[in-house]
Amino acid sequence: MAYLELRNIHKSFGNVTAVNNFNLDIEKGKLVSFLGPSGCGKTTTLRMIAGFEQPDEGTIRLGNQDITVISPNQRDIGMVFQAYALFPNMNVRQNIAFGLKMKKTPKAEIEKRVDEVLEMVRLKDTAKRFPHQLSGGQQQRIALARALAVRPRVLLLDEPLSALDAEVRVALRGEIRRIQSDLAITTVYVTHDQEEALSISDQVVVMNNGIIQQVGTPEEIYRSPATRFVATFIGTANQFFGNVAGECKVQSNGLTITTRKLSDFSSGQKVVVLVRPELIIVSNAQPDTNSGNTIPGMVETITFHGAVTRLGVHVNQQRVVADITMTSSGYISLNQKVWLSFKPDACKVMAVDE
Amino acid sequence: MTNRRTSTFKKARTHLQLWQVVLIALFIFYMLLPIFSTYIFSIATRWDRTILPEGITSEFYQEATKASYFSSSLRNSLILSLSTILVSLVIIIPTVYWVNVRLPQAKSILDILMILPFGIPTVVLALALVQVYNGTPLGRTPQLLIGAVFIYSMPFMYRPVSNAMRSIDALTLTEAGQSLGASTLQVMIQVIIPNIFSGIISGSLLVFATVFAEFTLTKLILGARFKTFPLLLVEYTRINGNIAAAFSVISFTIAWLISLLILWIGKKGQGSSTQAPTAH
Repeated sequence: MAYLELRNIHKSFGNVTAVNNFNLDIEKGKLVSFLGPSGCGKTTTLRMIAGFEQPDEGTIRLGNQDITVISPNQRDIGMVFQAYALFPNMNVRQNIAFGLKMKKTPKAEIEKRVDEVLEMVRLKDTAKRFPHQLSGGQQQRIALARALAVRPRVLLLDEPLSALDAEVRVALRGEIRRIQSDLAITTVYVTHDQEEALSISDQVVVMNNGIIQQVGTPEEIYRSPATRFVATFIGTANQFFGNVAGECKVQSNGLTITTRKLSDFSSGQKVVVLVRPELIIVSNAQPDTNSGNTIPGMVETITFHGAVTRLGVHVNQQRVVADITMTSSGYISLNQKVWLSFKPDACKVMAVDE
Repeated sequence: MTNRRTSTFKKARTHLQLWQVVLIALFIFYMLLPIFSTYIFSIATRWDRTILPEGITSEFYQEATKASYFSSSLRNSLILSLSTILVSLVIIIPTVYWVNVRLPQAKSILDILMILPFGIPTVVLALALVQVYNGTPLGRTPQLLIGAVFIYSMPFMYRPVSNAMRSIDALTLTEAGQSLGASTLQVMIQVIIPNIFSGIISGSLLVFATVFAEFTLTKLILGARFKTFPLLLVEYTRINGNIAAAFSVISFTIAWLISLLILWIGKKGQGSSTQAPTAH
């Protein structure tokens, strides 16, 4: 039995379905991210766990207790908001102590716990400051400390890093993960940033239009996407639309792509072949060995990304992107003819519904 | 922030043209003249044959304070204005909070409702209330008057409180409080009210100033039965102008003192809670 269970959750706002038939089990002590574009229902689901929204249908169970209709202040669930939501009229110590005071914790215990969580977020010297005297990153760490001080059963984070600078974002997400694993606190993390989700989660729940697209470890999500949405939303994927034309062949716009065995598809079926840019090898001369697919094309764009350089190559009416490393990028120039090769194993084939 | 503001102000002042200086001086003169004249008139012995009074006396103040209704009317005015402030606070704050957090759709309706008191002539309001409540235990009681001046002064409390509420993220603060185990009432008292305190103070000041000088509603609803300071003042304009002037000066002074007191409470209430983030 999972620690936090969501069963058949439905939620609509007027005519708009925000969350549709949502089922999820979250194990104790794990960090699970809800990932998806804005409006995909991830925040709504989080708010239903927190109790700020009521599901139209379905149940939410926490530690074997049905919490679906329990009011938010009775749930023992900590929450961190995108806008920090520190109380402006209270200093850091008072902010963190607030939840403990509500629980009527003895004074000495409050002091001890506040010091403890301040230590945890490494902001001991800010105890007497007011929220507006802190930077965004510091405020969010205090907000995290405040949520943790009451030792909640579940920690919910609603896009906690979206309002911060890139550098702070990366540092703080590491911090969140460290504290989360130290405390082994069950955590649900909502984000629209795939890099964030992939880097800190035990499990990622990819959502779109209120429906779960895939649940899996970050590796599973990236390496074997379950739907075309997941494949294109997580990372980049080249898409070749076409029809099945043989045991391991797909015909796409005049190209014949060799894939793995297409036993799940019928001949002539409409499919899409997905290839990640980093799995494409670019060469400026036709490779001798033909152990897969080799397609000629013309380099249209070169974008430097630091560790890799992304090429936009015009192939047969469509643009294919391929990533090359620094060492090989020196050989490639604009408008040059190149050969793109990728193995059948690099191809992920999915059915396309009309 | 403050520094920048004063420096731009100074800069603007050095560029003031002569005509602007004259215009501002005229305006200030125009605003202060009646107050200043009232003050002089209240201490003047005789002031009809000369530009400046012929002599100075405190006689009218002595007579004013000796007036039979002086202290009772002052007390009535204070009771009326302070209880109206209390009623406004108790009704307006939770309403504004509730509408902001739970019923944002109703905001525009409330905004329009709160302009209505300006549109209804006080005479109409007073006569309507008297008509409706006559015959009930509330008819022609000070309680009815409090209700009436509350309606009349409602926008003055609503505007500043509503603006202050909009300047904070009341919904997220409420949710943060609730997730930490606080009830809505606890959130309102410990989180929301301290953060809209500046609005509450300005609202209280405006309501006080309005109600302390209120005449029409008091006269029409209660008449002579509940004499407030403005009623006494108007009465004396018919008896002795100098004494009426003395009453006016006393009224100004009390209004100023009470305003300072409210501001002081405001400062004290904000002492522990630096308001910088919500102030701008």
